[in-house]
Amino acid sequence: MRVLLVEDDPLLGDGLRSGLRQLGFQVDWVRDGLAAERELRSGAYDAAVLDLGLPRLDGVQVLRSVRGQGTAAPILVLTARDAVPDRVQGLDLGADDYVIKPVDLHELAARLRALVRRASGQAAECLRAQGLVLDSAARTVLRDGALVELSGREFDLLHALMRSAGRVLSREQLEQTLYSWGQEVDSNAIDVHVHHLRRKLGTHVIATVRGVGYAMAAEACVS
Amino acid sequence: MRSLQARLLAGVLGSMLLLWLAAAAATWFDARHELDELLDSHLAQSAALLIARQLDADDDDVPRDTPLLHRYAPKVAFQIWHEGRLALRSEQAPAQPMAPQRSGFATLAIDGRVWRVFAARGTDSDVQVYVGEQIESRADILRAVMRSVLAPLLLALPLLAAALWWAVRRGLLPLRRVAIELERRSPQDLRPLAAGQAPAELAPLLAALNALFERIGALVQSERRFTADAAHELRTPIAAIRAQAQVALGAGQESERRHALHATIEGCDRATRLIEQLLLLARLDARANTDGPPAEHDLAALTRKVAAELAPQALARGQDIEVHAADPCHVAGEPVLVAAMLRNLIDNALRYAPDAGRVAIRIEPTAQGVNWGIEDSGPGLDAQQQARLGERFFRVLGSDQPGSGLGWSIVRRIAERCGARVQVGRSVALGGLQVDLQWRPAGGSAPMSR
Repeated sequence: MRVLLVEDDPLLGDGLRSGLRQLGFQVDWVRDGLAAERELRSGAYDAAVLDLGLPRLDGVQVLRSVRGQGTAAPILVLTARDAVPDRVQGLDLGADDYVIKPVDLHELAARLRALVRRASGQAAECLRAQGLVLDSAARTVLRDGALVELSGREFDLLHALMRSAGRVLSREQLEQTLYSWGQEVDSNAIDVHVHHLRRKLGTHVIATVRGVGYAMAAEACVS
Repeated sequence: MRSLQARLLAGVLGSMLLLWLAAAAATWFDARHELDELLDSHLAQSAALLIARQLDADDDDVPRDTPLLHRYAPKVAFQIWHEGRLALRSEQAPAQPMAPQRSGFATLAIDGRVWRVFAARGTDSDVQVYVGEQIESRADILRAVMRSVLAPLLLALPLLAAALWWAVRRGLLPLRRVAIELERRSPQDLRPLAAGQAPAELAPLLAALNALFERIGALVQSERRFTADAAHELRTPIAAIRAQAQVALGAGQESERRHALHATIEGCDRATRLIEQLLLLARLDARANTDGPPAEHDLAALTRKVAAELAPQALARGQDIEVHAADPCHVAGEPVLVAAMLRNLIDNALRYAPDAGRVAIRIEPTAQGVNWGIEDSGPGLDAQQQARLGERFFRVLGSDQPGSGLGWSIVRRIAERCGARVQVGRSVALGGLQVDLQWRPAGGSAPMSR
């Protein structure tokens, strides 16, 4: 799951980035409002953590601007502004969650997962498809009740496909989800991960759409 | 006299009494003058009559006493001398001549009483006449006149005092009403007082009170905002500490754990610095009203001391810090506070100057006093940013410097307290920020203007 972190405080930004990475997120960190606006518009993120007191462009204006342009990615506002009018304004401007500093990293991660889940129209923490049960919080995958050992990237790839079950995801989309900035991506990395997944879960689980990308058939379509 | 009512009463009644007494004095002098004229002319006329009578009378060597004719008669007396002998005298008159002079008026003592005596001589025969009257009788008349003038006043004064008391009390009613309204107010109620039916004399007081309310309101507002801002500012370092500590807990690798723990300690240092600055500001606020006369000290020595404290930080980044001060420069201000102000300014300059940059401090006596200037080779500030310096928690955006945003508030407050003027501009020599503190000459009274 790829998350944009917008925080101008160097120490807090560093801590949040490291912490979210430990919890299985791909994190890109920007430190000002203009960069945040630009990155959010790119549509490459599953969710964003947005501080409000930002240099160059205030977080409130970032919210207003990206929501005005139809960016749908869930945005979690993480701020020290705790007054009720501030919270109301933040939520009304399109924030999906409003969290006051300081925040527990596990809670922040859970909230981000919940936002992404809700955005993809999914009710529970566990995704089910093709006889697989994926628990995004515990980062585990069960196949017919048995635990399947997956690497971090394999889990993220499966998670992305299961979140968008029934839809075809291009190789670029999958790369964006799996890798943050500055990480080397081999040209066939996605194909390699898909290959490994198929070996562990069965070939029929992930379908290839030639020239377009990969897809996981939705539960309903199979049964 | 503290009571307005008592003061008004005393003023009005006192001046009325004085006027009345002056009028009475004038009446007294006037009446005495007229009375003297009238009675003197009577004496003269009586003397003339006596001379005329003596000319007609038979020559008689035996002096005669006239009988007491009236009960007032003892107050008047006369003598008629003929050719050096006493020819006729009233019962009260002495046997000697009543006055030393031959003619005209005299006031003199006879047998222990004061008399007014008129002397006259007949024109062609040797007749000498004295007519006298006790002065006391004139005083009696005068006293009667004064009694009639002053008696009404004695009666009127208490009545007047009562009427005045009532009128003044009524006139001061609006004042009392304002007092009651103020008394009933809660401390939070800072709405302006309605000047509606208040008399014109109260308008300046009400306007001043309302202006005061407005200032207090602004102060309360700024304090509230400050508390909110302070809480806000403390949350970020604490959030950082928490996040870094959690990262350290969850770290798989030793290097990651060490990095996170170092960051945690850095976060604690930042929070500590912020809290120290907040406490300093709070103390400045609390002490604002309890000023003693500012002490004097050597600014050059203090600057060297603070610069020495901060030098390691500069050396670590290869920065060059210099202090130019020739002689001791004595300025006013508590040394502890001035040191805090200088520390903030030097620390700021070092923070914003780049690695291997320069910071220069100059202390020079000027015509107006002492100038303490600091300049750095950092990016400086544009006019808009310069104007916002000193707002609490204002930080220059886009800078990575983890300042508290309170340093400038502290500098401005302390400068205000020791009567130094702060000027911000661009350094000509180094290109960065230039800050000047201008002190009046030591020993002069430091203005505490706000």
